[in-house]
Amino acid sequence: MRKLFLFLSLLSTGVFAAPSLDHQVFDSQNQSVSLSEFKGKVVYVDFWASWCGPCRKSFPWMNAMQQKYRDQGLAVVAINLDTDKALAEEFLKQMPAQFSVRFNPEGDVARSFDLLGMPSSFVFNRQGQLVKNHVGFYQDNAADYEQELVSLLKE
Amino acid sequence: MINNNNKLDSIPSQRTASNPQTKKIASALAFASCGLFASNGHATELVKNVDDWKVDAALMYYGEQDRVQAIEAIGKAQKNFGDDSVLDLKLVVDSLTGASASGAVAQSDSQTFTRPSGNGQYKVAAGDTPLDDTFHDTRVQGSANWSQKLNPDWKVSGGVYGSKEFDYMSMGINAGVERGFNKDNTTLFLGTAYSFDVVDPVGGRPVALSSMAIRDNFTSDEAYRTAFDATRQNGSDDKQTVDLMLGITQILNQRWLLQANYGLSSVSGYLTDPYKVLSVVDNNGTSQDIVYENRPDSRLKHSFYVMTKGALDSGVVDFSYRYNTDDWDLTSHTLETHYRYYFSGSFYGQLHLRYYQQSAVNFYQPFLLADTPLPEFASADYRIGDMSAYTIGVKFGHRLSGGHEMTYRLEYYQQDPKNNGTELPGQLQNYDLFPTQKAITAQFSYSF
Amino acid sequence: MRKITLIAVSLIVVGLTGCTNLGVQPWEKGQLARSDMALDSEKLDQALDDHIYFSKEGSSGGRAFAGGGCGCN
Repeated sequence: MRKLFLFLSLLSTGVFAAPSLDHQVFDSQNQSVSLSEFKGKVVYVDFWASWCGPCRKSFPWMNAMQQKYRDQGLAVVAINLDTDKALAEEFLKQMPAQFSVRFNPEGDVARSFDLLGMPSSFVFNRQGQLVKNHVGFYQDNAADYEQELVSLLKE
Repeated sequence: MINNNNKLDSIPSQRTASNPQTKKIASALAFASCGLFASNGHATELVKNVDDWKVDAALMYYGEQDRVQAIEAIGKAQKNFGDDSVLDLKLVVDSLTGASASGAVAQSDSQTFTRPSGNGQYKVAAGDTPLDDTFHDTRVQGSANWSQKLNPDWKVSGGVYGSKEFDYMSMGINAGVERGFNKDNTTLFLGTAYSFDVVDPVGGRPVALSSMAIRDNFTSDEAYRTAFDATRQNGSDDKQTVDLMLGITQILNQRWLLQANYGLSSVSGYLTDPYKVLSVVDNNGTSQDIVYENRPDSRLKHSFYVMTKGALDSGVVDFSYRYNTDDWDLTSHTLETHYRYYFSGSFYGQLHLRYYQQSAVNFYQPFLLADTPLPEFASADYRIGDMSAYTIGVKFGHRLSGGHEMTYRLEYYQQDPKNNGTELPGQLQNYDLFPTQKAITAQFSYSF
Repeated sequence: MRKITLIAVSLIVVGLTGCTNLGVQPWEKGQLARSDMALDSEKLDQALDDHIYFSKEGSSGGRAFAGGGCGCN
C-alpha cells in the first residue's frame, strides 16, 4: 500500500513537474480551475506579466489568433504571473484580452513549466501533448507562430 | 516624436493597490490636483510602449568660484527597431569661459606671464594664485550607437563618436558583446574602444620644460618673438587611446543587482597639458623662471568598479566603489551613492553623495627648485596631485503624463588639493599653494 | 600590472561560477524591470558628471552600461 502511494506520488510529481495541462490556476474570480478544461482544443499557453515589454507586444497577436481560429478549435490561455493582481488588472484595462486569462501569482505552475524567459509560450495539440515552446515574443516570427497553430488545427 | 499611443503611464503601487480605501483617496487627490501628473503609486510599474523615439535633453550650468564657468547642452534620442535593435544618438554642445590655475605659485610680488598664444601678457597680483584667464572654448560632440540582439543570449553593439573644439579634435569607435547566462541572471560584457585625438594648442605646443619668454625681458618685439618661437614646436600632435572593458552584472535577488567591471586603458602620444607651467624658485621661494610642463608620452591605466543597486518599495538606492591605478603611480578611490525617494508616484527627490581621493603622479611637483637639475618630466597641475574631493547633490523629478519626466539637479563639488610632502622654502610658506576649489552645478532635464 | 589583470580575470571567473546559485526566476523580475532600476536610468546625469570629473580629476572611467533590467526577450 505504501509502495503504491509512493509510486503514485512519484507519478504525480512526474506529471506536475513538466509542462502539461494538468495544472491548477486561478480565474478572474479567484476560483481555482484546471488548464485541462481546454483539453481537446489546440491550446496556446502564454505566461506573461504587466511589467514585461514583449508581453505587451504579444497581446494584439494573441487577440487576433483567438478571433481567427476560435471556430477551428484554438484556445489561447494567458497565465499572468504578477504577484499583485491589481497590476495585471490595470494592464488588462489598457490592453483588453479577448482570450482566456488565468492567474498564477504563486508562480508554481511557471516553475513546473521551467520558464527560461518572459514571455514564454507552450503549444499543446488536441491530445493535450506539448508540441512546441517559445521563449520571448518576436514580431518578426509571428507568421511562423501562426503557421504552427494552423498545422496543429488541421491535425 | 511624442509617445501618442503610450497610454500605460500610470504606475499603480503595490501598497496603495492593496488598500482600496487608500487607493480611492489617492486617486481622488490625483484627480483634484488637476490630473497633470500621472496618478498614484511607485513600486512596480506597467511596461511602456517602447517603439517610439525616446528623447532626453538637459541643460547644465557649471560654475567655479572665480574660475571656469561652463554651459553644457546635451540631447539624446533613442529608438527601438523591431524587437532586437536599438539606435542611440547623442549630441553635446558646451561653452567654457574663465580662468584656470596655470600651475605657477603665488609670490610676494606681482608676476607677469605670457599668454599661450604669445600675443600679449597678463599680470597676477601679489599673493594671488596665478590663473590663466584666456580660457574660452566651444565644443561640439556627437555619437551614434547601435545595439543588436542576435538571439536570447547574445547581444552586440557598436558605435562611433567625434568631438571638435578650437584646439582639439577627437574621433572614436567602440564595439561590445554581451552574453546572458543562468536564465539571464548573469550578464558578461566585453567591450573595446579606440580613439584618435589631435591636439593643436593655441600658439603651438611648448617645448618641454622650456622657459616662458616674457616681453618685458626683451628690448624689441622681434627679439621677443624669436625667443617665444624657440619655445614652440611646429604643427599638431596626436594621442591614441585603446580601452578594454570586462564586466559582469549579476542579479542577486528580486530587488538587488550587482555590477563589477575591470577596465584597461592604454593612452599614448601627446599627454602634456600645453597650457600648464611650473615655477622655478630659489631657496627663498622666490620665482626665478617659469617653465612649460612635460608629461610622459604613454600611460597605462586600470580601473575596478563595483556597484550595487536596489529597488526599494518607494525608492531606489545604489552604492559604488571604484579603484584606479596607473603607471604614473596615481591611485584613486571613489565612493558614490544615490538615494531616491518617491514622495508620490509622480514626484521624487534624490540625494547624491560622492567622495574621491587620489595620490599624486610620480612627476608631480608643486614647483621646481633652481639649484637642482631639471627632471625629465614635471607637472604642477593640481589635478594630478594629491587631492580629495566630495560632491553633495540633490535632484527632484516630476513624472508627467504621457511618460514625460522633468528633473532639476543642484550639486556642490569641492576639491581639496594637498601638499604631496614637498617642503616649502621661504616666502612660499606665506601662501596657500593648494587652494580649495568650489564649484556649483545646476541642471534642468526633460525626457519625452 | 600583468598580475593585476590576472587577479581581475580570476576574480570574475570565480564570481561567475559562484553566481550560478544566485538570481531569480524570469517571472520574478518585476522590481528589476522598473525603469529606475536600469543601469543607464540616469545616463545624461552620468555623462555630465563624467565630463566634469574627467576634466577635474586625475583618473576616469570604470563604469559601463551592460546587462540589468527586465531581461525580457
